Amino acid sequence: MGQRRRAADLNNTSSHGGSGAPAEVLHIASKKHNICMVSDFFYPNMGGVESHIYQLSQCLIEKGHKVVIVTHAYGRRKGVRYLTNGLKVYYLPLQVMYNQSTATTCFHSLPLLRCVFVRECITVVHAHSSFSAMAHDALFHAKTMGLNTVFTDHSLFGFADVSSVLTNKLLTVTLCDTNHIVCVSYTSKENTVLRAALNPEIVSVIPNAVDPTDFTPDPSQRRDDRITIVVISRLVYRKGIDLLGGIIPELCLKHPDLHFLIGGEGPKRIVLEEVREKYQLHDRVRLLGALEHKDVRGVLVQGHIFLNTSLTEAFCMAIVEGASCGLQVCGHSEYVGCGITQLIPGDFPTVRSLCAGVESVIAQQRSGSVPSPMSVHARVRSLYTWRNVAERTEKVYDRVSREEVLPLDRRFRRLRAHCGPVTGSIFALFAVLDFLLLLLLQWLMPDRVMDVAMDATGPHGLWRQELSIKVSATAQAAQPDILLK
Amino acid sequence: MEGEAFTDINGNAISLDCQNHSGSCREFTVSSPKMSIGKVIVYTCCVWLLAYAVFFVTENTAVLSGAILITLVGMMLHIHFVKVDHESLLVIGSLGIQVSSNFASGRETTTFIEMSKIKDIVINEAIYMHQIIYYLCVLLKDPTEPTAVSCVVPLFQSSKPRLNCLVKVYKSCQEILSKC
Repeated sequence: MGQRRRAADLNNTSSHGGSGAPAEVLHIASKKHNICMVSDFFYPNMGGVESHIYQLSQCLIEKGHKVVIVTHAYGRRKGVRYLTNGLKVYYLPLQVMYNQSTATTCFHSLPLLRCVFVRECITVVHAHSSFSAMAHDALFHAKTMGLNTVFTDHSLFGFADVSSVLTNKLLTVTLCDTNHIVCVSYTSKENTVLRAALNPEIVSVIPNAVDPTDFTPDPSQRRDDRITIVVISRLVYRKGIDLLGGIIPELCLKHPDLHFLIGGEGPKRIVLEEVREKYQLHDRVRLLGALEHKDVRGVLVQGHIFLNTSLTEAFCMAIVEGASCGLQVCGHSEYVGCGITQLIPGDFPTVRSLCAGVESVIAQQRSGSVPSPMSVHARVRSLYTWRNVAERTEKVYDRVSREEVLPLDRRFRRLRAHCGPVTGSIFALFAVLDFLLLLLLQWLMPDRVMDVAMDATGPHGLWRQELSIKVSATAQAAQPDILLK
Repeated sequence: MEGEAFTDINGNAISLDCQNHSGSCREFTVSSPKMSIGKVIVYTCCVWLLAYAVFFVTENTAVLSGAILITLVGMMLHIHFVKVDHESLLVIGSLGIQVSSNFASGRETTTFIEMSKIKDIVINEAIYMHQIIYYLCVLLKDPTEPTAVSCVVPLFQSSKPRLNCLVKVYKSCQEILSKC
């Protein structure tokens, strides 16, 4: 509220008072980008994509870029909000269809998204998650409006069932003329390149990071008379819970001081309960049920070994979090190397390979030859930082901003060539309709009529200038209820 | 003071008139353009043509007289309840804020907000129809809870001026509010 007042006071000193100056702003900001992050998933919804977007945005703001986030309205949370450091979030009132993903018609979101892109003078549109219909829409509209586009894929997909076939087709269409794609691991890159039939050269790999202050080791929480193995994952097939059910009795038989602590919920819980019942392991295998993200650390620090039985993972945050808490990490995967994990050889995890892997870690643990929790934590801390992620993402933006956006005719040819004659033609038609709709909107509401928004972040960020004037100002800043209407 | 030319969020010209009654009393009036005769003719013609088409099929003269009645009543309702000629904001330091809107028919609605209830005047952003706009609003506080905002009263709701106009009004208001 007080922020607004100061914002208006500073308006006359800022270089772009009033309207009609977007071109000038763009020119000044040639080094710094105006980035718009679009995803259906953002706070107050909780999850990996949400925290990725938030942390990445904060680090980009720190680097002097302007960042705004666009998502759909969550309940009564709609309109415009500001988060820490002037991160602006638009909660657009679009209809939610399924699983927090908006309904898509390819067209209805254009007026609002155009409004955001124009008033914030956006240069790069960065969409997240292939499950998000809004991200696909935003990429589609951004290309129509001639903006550079980046897409980050956070998940892996199959190729066989109907839903993946459809999603993969949609992904092919959206990504075939997107400037650059970011994946969170090499597994994910391989998967995305295959699914969307992409040129691998335009796909970058930037891993996620972990917030090291949230996951610190605390060896005093461990019980020294036993070895505790912690498993935290959703209890579903993909996470290899059947394998876990296979190794629990075998390991428990061999090592009488071995205890399991399993956090998470899901349809495969029944498998673990059966195993526990059958081998009478009630005192040694504890099922904790669903965990809140804030409680995860409390569970992790109780263990000595973190076990991940996933069959396949895009980027396993849980492993990095486990390692950050100083645990010995054991899992079948190539995604977290760098000496923190005990890698289990073989192409596909089996009960035998997992057992052998865990046993070797237990042997190390008993002989005391494992690095101390603090040294493991320090290593994770230096390897997986959000600043590093932001730096690498910045390079992607720099590269993208030098590329040209395909004009309409070449976009058609690309669509027809990449997505098959039928789908390609349908989406080429959609692209034409989208373009005509854009022309109609530009006629009804020309760009010059729209007010250019005040920048809270970026080169002309008002919050940044204030910070240098008055540090205490940020305390009042986060009053979203007032700013919302 | 002279009225200045600004535009509203749809690009139509509006004028802002600031009057300094005294050091701590200022009045801002935003006037929208008058209803254009062309628009009235277009709407009337549409209704009448439609009525004539229905009459052509049904051959019932009540349709025609009904159409005349609808246009007359519609026009009256429009100028009485919808069409706002000008909106004014009167800020009197230490006393309060008076918000009034004058309809084209001459009807006037006025609200007065005491200074003790006002927390601040701010410019805010909102999603309005298919666009995102800036608007000026008064934040009210509950006397029992002086730090929280109990209610938001938007100003210039029908004329919807653009940011440059709002900033001008905002600055003058803050000058007065900061004094008391």
